[in-house]
Amino acid sequence: MKVLNKSKLIEALNVLSSQQEVFVPIQRESQSGYFSWADYQPERDELMLEALNVYQSPKNVVLPQTERMYGIISQGMEVDIDQTFEDAHPTLIFGARGCDVKGILAMDEVFLTRGFVDSFYQARRANNTIVANACYAPGPNCFCTAMEVDPVEPVGADVIIHDCGDYYAWEARTGKGEAVTAQLDGLLEDKEVKLPSAQPFQLQVDYQGVAEKLKDMFDHSLWDQMAEPCINCGMCTYVCPSCYCFDIQVKMFGEKGYRFRAWDSCMFEEYTREAGGGNPRGASKERFRQRFLHKLEFFQERYGTPLCTGCGRCIIVCPTDVNIARIIKAVKEAEVE
Amino acid sequence: MKEITEQIQTIAARLFEEGKIDIFIAWEQGELDFQTKAYVARSKEDAKNLVFNEYAIYNTANMLLKFRDGHERIGIAVKGCDSRGIVRLLEDLQIKRERLYIVGIPCPGLKDPLAAARNYGGFNRQTEPDSLAGKCLECIQPNPVICDEIIGPEQSPRQQGDRFARVKEMEQMTPDERYDFWEKTLSTCIRCYACRQVCVACDCRTCIFDEMKPQWVGRESSTTDNMMYHLVKHAHMAGRCIECGECERVCPVNIPLMLLNQKLIKDVGAFYGGPEAGLQYVEGAKPPLSVYRIDDPDSFL
Ligand code: SF4
Ligand code: SF4
Ligand code: SF4
Ligand code: SF4
Ligand code: SF4
Repeated sequence: MKVLNKSKLIEALNVLSSQQEVFVPIQRESQSGYFSWADYQPERDELMLEALNVYQSPKNVVLPQTERMYGIISQGMEVDIDQTFEDAHPTLIFGARGCDVKGILAMDEVFLTRGFVDSFYQARRANNTIVANACYAPGPNCFCTAMEVDPVEPVGADVIIHDCGDYYAWEARTGKGEAVTAQLDGLLEDKEVKLPSAQPFQLQVDYQGVAEKLKDMFDHSLWDQMAEPCINCGMCTYVCPSCYCFDIQVKMFGEKGYRFRAWDSCMFEEYTREAGGGNPRGASKERFRQRFLHKLEFFQERYGTPLCTGCGRCIIVCPTDVNIARIIKAVKEAEVE
Repeated sequence: MKEITEQIQTIAARLFEEGKIDIFIAWEQGELDFQTKAYVARSKEDAKNLVFNEYAIYNTANMLLKFRDGHERIGIAVKGCDSRGIVRLLEDLQIKRERLYIVGIPCPGLKDPLAAARNYGGFNRQTEPDSLAGKCLECIQPNPVICDEIIGPEQSPRQQGDRFARVKEMEQMTPDERYDFWEKTLSTCIRCYACRQVCVACDCRTCIFDEMKPQWVGRESSTTDNMMYHLVKHAHMAGRCIECGECERVCPVNIPLMLLNQKLIKDVGAFYGGPEAGLQYVEGAKPPLSVYRIDDPDSFL
């Protein structure tokens, strides 16, 4: 098997970085997320490939928090589109965990299938390669296996690397993966490898039948109880690797301007506010319920897989200790008439 | 803290029994030690779930906003910082004093459950787990400023040295240096608005950032819109921030928000004097910058 010796990791990242923009998990001062290797400064940044995961998921690479769509010129009643901002520069996500890869696969479903193709997303995704970092030691909030993710051999990865102590075992899985492997020609070595053994999950979550059961639980009292502490801050949706909602807005400077889209969250009040002022999800509980129903029921119904990937991020960020694993359990145990 | 827990439970049970309250707001223990969260007890039986422990840091006053339109009579447990939040809500006429039965807890200083959760979860670089939360190390008012009943002995403020040292350091910078600092810092804000949602002083029914007609501040996570968000949000905090530190504590990308708040606290103090936000409740009194007068000496207003 091919291996990448850890002593050559920095060199490898530099080589990859010369061919495409490489995003790696980094702790930057007090923040952690996927940042561009080109901005890496050793005195400020710490590479986090050995940590379980980072706070901000790599979804930003394929669905930037803010992206310009097209430029506008308006003259009187006439409006012209003068340019589009399709971004197709090649990118590589290096070291994504299986849960985060699944997040991107979920977005692929939304933006590329069922006859609705989002050209902006498509352009970026077509030029995006994923090197996944296999997980052998799940953290205490991980429950990806319950959400159809294989943490050791994640579907959707172009290359999978396996941390074997002094080196990473390197396994190309797709054509894109082969291409990236070729870029590292001379840096990868051949070696007999012994892969680590996977440790058990500490958190046990049983998602079986939850989507089905939720169909009859829209008005269940469980939502009142669960939503009580939630302050609808939206952090959980912004750190989530699979939440993909966005809003399209416009910025005009005199006669010129542009349309852009920016992440949005179903936890926000104006997300569902209608032009006339009405709001079908005016109450905090209704927004809370939407988030969990979308994750656990609606997406499953439409795409045959849950929208939660079990990464555990929302559990860690929530200031009021809302915990999706506990919600799944509560749904399982709830009595429905 | 065990005694405090017992006393909260006893007091809440008594209030339910006497028919004095419909709900009691305090904290509840989650599965793990640090998973302590706000909790609303609705009966004498529920009162058994109430706790106060070293992670009971969440500002309970914020929970009152969920009940501002109702008629429930509310028992509520507050620490020093939480009690200042209650004063703010009373001043802003968000809730009536007669609806509240306030149980005060002089606060010994607490730990941050979010820091503990990060350490436990294996995300981020590990931080020092055993120290008190930053906001508690800076606390000037651990004792409740308003309450009907108090549990335990008074505590002394933990804030040491020059309270505004960090602010003064910033004031020494040139405008360009300061601008660069904030441009760099605020450009990483992800605009999740958690800092607003967790803030008890942010009690507007429709926040300016949620207004769509017109939209005052764009949604772009660009330096311009991010700066605009923070300028406006923090300007609105002048004379209102009760220094509970919740915004900075919950921010997922660790923006040093209290630096902005502290600058405003310092300036409002210097310009208008008087007690700081939420330190004193006088019925009908208005904090600085919240009165409208036709003959205001400043023509701009
Ligand atoms: S949720 Fe699964 S894939 Fe994600 S970090 Fe944990 S073990 Fe790895
Ligand atoms: S992070 Fe927690 S409090 Fe904030 S919106 Fe999500 S569930 Fe609600
Ligand atoms: S949970 Fe909410 S924010 Fe996330 S994708 Fe679903 S509707 Fe959008
Ligand atoms: S809902 Fe929570 S646990 Fe599930 S993928 Fe999103 S952040 Fe991760
Ligand atoms: S909580 Fe932090 S990231 Fe979120 S809007 Fe406030 S400053 Fe920005």
